[in-house]
Formats: sequence, structure tokens, C-alpha cells
Amino acid sequence: MYIPKPSPHDPDKNGHFDLHGGRYVPETLMPLLEELEAEYAKVRQDEGFWSEVHALLNDYVGRPSPLYHAQKLSDELGATIYLKREDLNHTGAHKVNNTIAQGLLAKRMGKKKVIAETGAGQHGVATATIAALLGLECEVFMGAKDVARQQLNVFRMELLGAKVHPVESGSKTLKDAMNDAIRHWVTNARDTFYIIGTVAGPHPYPMMVRDFQAIIGYEAKMQIREKTGKLPDYVLACIGGGSNAIGMFAHFIDEPGVQCIGIEAGGLGVDTDKHGASLEKGSPGVLHGQMSYLLQDEDGQILEAHSISAGLDYPGIGPEHSYHHDRGTVKYDNITDGEALDAFVWLSRAEGIIPAFESAHAVAYLKKMGDTIKGKTVIVNISGRGDKDMIQAKEIVDLTKYE
Amino acid sequence: MKHLVGYITAGVLEDAATADLILAMAAKGMDTIELGIPFSDPVADGPVIEKAAMIALEKGYRFDRTYGITQAISGTIDTLWMGYFNSFYHKGLESVAQKGAAAGLKGLIIPDLPFEEAQAHKPLFGGHGIDLIDFVAPTDTPERIKKIIADAKRFIYLVAYAGITGAGKSEDLAEISQAIKAVSSTPLYVGFGVDKDTAKEKVKHADGVIVGSAFVKILIDESLTASQKIDRIATLAGDIKSLINE
Repeated sequence: MYIPKPSPHDPDKNGHFDLHGGRYVPETLMPLLEELEAEYAKVRQDEGFWSEVHALLNDYVGRPSPLYHAQKLSDELGATIYLKREDLNHTGAHKVNNTIAQGLLAKRMGKKKVIAETGAGQHGVATATIAALLGLECEVFMGAKDVARQQLNVFRMELLGAKVHPVESGSKTLKDAMNDAIRHWVTNARDTFYIIGTVAGPHPYPMMVRDFQAIIGYEAKMQIREKTGKLPDYVLACIGGGSNAIGMFAHFIDEPGVQCIGIEAGGLGVDTDKHGASLEKGSPGVLHGQMSYLLQDEDGQILEAHSISAGLDYPGIGPEHSYHHDRGTVKYDNITDGEALDAFVWLSRAEGIIPAFESAHAVAYLKKMGDTIKGKTVIVNISGRGDKDMIQAKEIVDLTKYE
Repeated sequence: MKHLVGYITAGVLEDAATADLILAMAAKGMDTIELGIPFSDPVADGPVIEKAAMIALEKGYRFDRTYGITQAISGTIDTLWMGYFNSFYHKGLESVAQKGAAAGLKGLIIPDLPFEEAQAHKPLFGGHGIDLIDFVAPTDTPERIKKIIADAKRFIYLVAYAGITGAGKSEDLAEISQAIKAVSSTPLYVGFGVDKDTAKEKVKHADGVIVGSAFVKILIDESLTASQKIDRIATLAGDIKSLINE
């Protein structure tokens, strides 16, 4: 049974990963974060808690997710490619690994209400799902622009019994949804648990969500050893806030000979102003309760991110990624909208697997690696499936281009 | 005499008019100004102050203009800034402390910089005569209150309720005010949701009040000219100052 262990990459007592992380929140929330931190310290290695989590991960989510040998991709690239199939999870992405554990923690703490922010709607759906299962009241904050472009996920959340609040302020996307979720949380601090969807926000969230998602890397490491008798050369994952990536990397980062590579959204290109590459083009700053790399102007005003994928459309990144970036323990690169769309079609046609736009960024990187991939073993995290992107894909993908 | 701290967002009016407004409020008895630096993502603020920030940014407000406004008013009124940590961090804390002090800045109110994160920066600002104001929230335990205000400078900012600025909420502050008074003799001011109707009640257990959204509501009223805004806000400041001292 997977139970997190203290990691050399745990933050210090105030939640700092070197410069990054911390707790930059209104004082009203500090006692709650301290309470959450204490509660998490109690369950982090508690077998009873993890038995409950695993019971649901196994029978409700369908874990372990398979590690699939992608033969055609391997042949085409002259490499050995394995796909970690988080797309096969209940609700269609890795997000549910985290919401199950946080939902159980909320219940243990006696909270009856949960809130969440969501971009594409995947985390919102995963939270609404677990709220339905555990009998918790659920409210989801979603930028008005995302509400309009992700109608199906909005309906899904409402079907599951959640209340969806369209957020009209700022850029009306994920960043603003998180602002309003924080405002709601400050206002209802005493009875509401905030289920943050990624490895971001104030301490202890980045560490806690990493622990919850690290089931991905834990399984992948056992599976790759079983199938190949060794560890991979490369492990790839896409990054918005970075939870699927840190979950996958957590068990490989300290293995000599394994290179973890995180892929940011290159949007229309990192030399334009339309991308989501916080590490490549941003600088350290404070947003949403944490210090981390941010896209910002000369006065520290937060800039809008752009990506074809709503899940990567975020001007910040989880603080542990900023820490690995500065230390050089993980390599980071980016993939443009166009490259991601090509990979979306490529994987669909080569292996019969339609990835989420987010995950397509990681798949695309296989090609960007060029000759360095030859003869190597690579794991790509397929963090989610493409069902949610079908309407958008139908509008923008010109299939005749791929005949 | 109970103390009135007023909040005004910079950049909604021209800088000269912002300075005139603050001086007019001071003439009506306001003791301290909290000059608000507009930020794109003001998570501690309600819709009124958020809107003021958006208006200022759309009009092209730049951080460096804050020094000029401060220069124009700091000889007449005790001047603090209210802003989010990223604005200061991105401009460079050392540079902000130096230039702010030169312009007459006396303190910073940073709602997303709680005690633990503020500790590292207090010596730098303190060295320039700039105090970082400590917050106490109604969710704080007596033990935490003791820890975070042990060394409070200038005044303690008591958040009147769990929430964001300008909401119509209220909580009984008698107990928490007592807990604060038991460990600190630093003046205690209450902020969040203070307006003409609530000022008298909220000041009951405190040495002063902080008023923001009630002023900013007038500041962003598009039906008023700049001079009408100045008149009305200054009058309101005078009224609240009288009310809390009745």
C-alpha cells in the first residue's frame, strides 16, 4: 500500500521550498492552515487513513492505472515508450487521486462544505464527484470564460449536485476562479474545506497534493521495473499548476540516471505574449498564497496566460517546480498549441488513445526530443483523456491536414 | 480621541486630485491615510475596492507614481500604503523602503503577508522608519494573538469579521479585543465593513477605525465629477470622525 514518506524535497516548517512556497494569505486563514497542517501531519503516515484512501482508489477510481507499452510510437521513434494511463481513471484524469484524499480529510476534520476552483472543469468535476460520494455540500468557482467554453463540464458538476459560480472578475479564467475561491474561503473559514486542485496555494497544500498524486509515480516505478527490469531514462509530464507532473516525478527525481522533464504550455510560442510558460518567461512573485515563478509585468501585475488547453492556461506554477527548476533537479521545456494538436491526432491514430489537450503536450515532446530519444526508455504521463476537448477539437483540428 | 484611518485607492483620480482628496479628508479630521496601490488580483478585497483597482490599472496607473502622491501629502498627514506583497517584492523591497522613506512613508499594510512571512522583512523596513502593520483576525486563538502582536508597531489592525473588505458582516469583537488588550498596549484599530452606520458600534472596543469601501464607493461613482467626489468623501470622513468620538 502506498503511504507517503518524508521526502528530501519537503518544504521547511513555514512551507518554503528554498525561496518558493510559503503562506501568503490573509491572517484570517492562518489558523485554518495551521489546523490543516497539524491534521495532515497526523494522517500523512496513518495506515487507517490510507486504507480508506486506497479502498476508494482501487474500487471507485480503478487503480492501479495501467502502464501501457506503446508499440507503434516506439517503432516510429526508435525508442521504448510507455504511457501511464491516468486517462482511464474514473472522471477521466489524475485529478480524482487528490480529491478523494482531500475529501476524506475534510470529513475527518468535521467539515460539511467543500469548495474548489476549476479551469477546464476537470478538478471541479472530480471535486463534485467526491462530494456526492461523501455527502458533502460542494461549490465550484469557475471563470465565466471557461463556463462558456466548457459547458459540458458545467452540466456534469450540476448533475452531480454541485453549485457552479461563474466568476466575472479579471480575465474570467482559472486565476480569477482561484481568487474568488479564496475570497469565499476567507468568508466561510470556519466550516469550509478548500479542495485545491493542484500543487499550488499556501502551505501545506503543495506538499499535501504532491503526496496524494505521488501514487502515480509509485505505481509507474513498480510497473516499469516489472516490465523492463530497469528504470526509464526519461519521465515526461505536462505542467499547468503541475500536480500530475510532481506526482509522477516524486518517485523518480532522486534516481540517478532518470531525467524528469516537465512540459509547460508554449501557446503561440514563448516569444509571443500568448503562452503559459511561467518558468521559461516568468519571474518569482506571490500569487494565490505562494511564492513561485509568475507571468507578470514590470509592476508585478499578473499577466494573462494563454494555452489551447484550459488546464495549462495559468500564469503561475506550483512552488516545488520552481524549486526544482532553480536547483536543476528537473528539466523544463515547452510545447506550442500547434505541436500539441499534432500530437493529439498522432496518439489517437497510432495507438487509439485520445489524450486530453494537456497530456498531448507531453506526448508532443517525444518528437521534440529528436535523436536524443533513440534507444531510450521513456514514460509519458497521459494525465487525462480527451473527451472534454471534443467540441473544441472539432472546431480547430483540420483532419485533412493529416491525410 | 478615537482615531480615523481612511483608505483611498491611488490612480482612480489624477494624482494631484488624489492628493487634494486626501488633504481634504485630513482637514475634516482624518488622522491617517492608507494609500491603496492597485493590484490585479486583490484577494482580500471585496467588489468595491477590486473595481477601484481595475479602474486605476485600466487608466494605466504605475507603481512609481505612488511616491509622488506620498510626497505631496506626507507633510500634512500620517501616510501608510496598503498593497499586496507582489507589488513591493517585484519592485525590490530595498528600493521600495528607501524611496518610500524619502517620500515620507511611515508604514505598510500588506494583507497577504501574515506574521510568519513578514518577520524576515521587518528589519529592512524598520531600518527605514517604515512599520509593517500586524493583523489580528477573529479566527485567531489567544495563543496565536500573543505570538503575532508581541512586537506590534504603530497600531494593530483587527479584522472585524472573517471575510473580505466591504461586506455587511459583523462579529462580536468584545472577547478578541480583550485578548489583544491583555497582551499589548499598541493602539487597536478595527477595519473591514466600517461605514457611517457601523462605525460607532465597531469602535466600541477599539482605539480607532479603518474605513475603506465606504469612501471608495463614492470614489468610483461615475455620475460624480472629481470635485464632487472630493467634497462628499471629505464630508463623510468628517462625519465618521465625529461619530466615533461621540
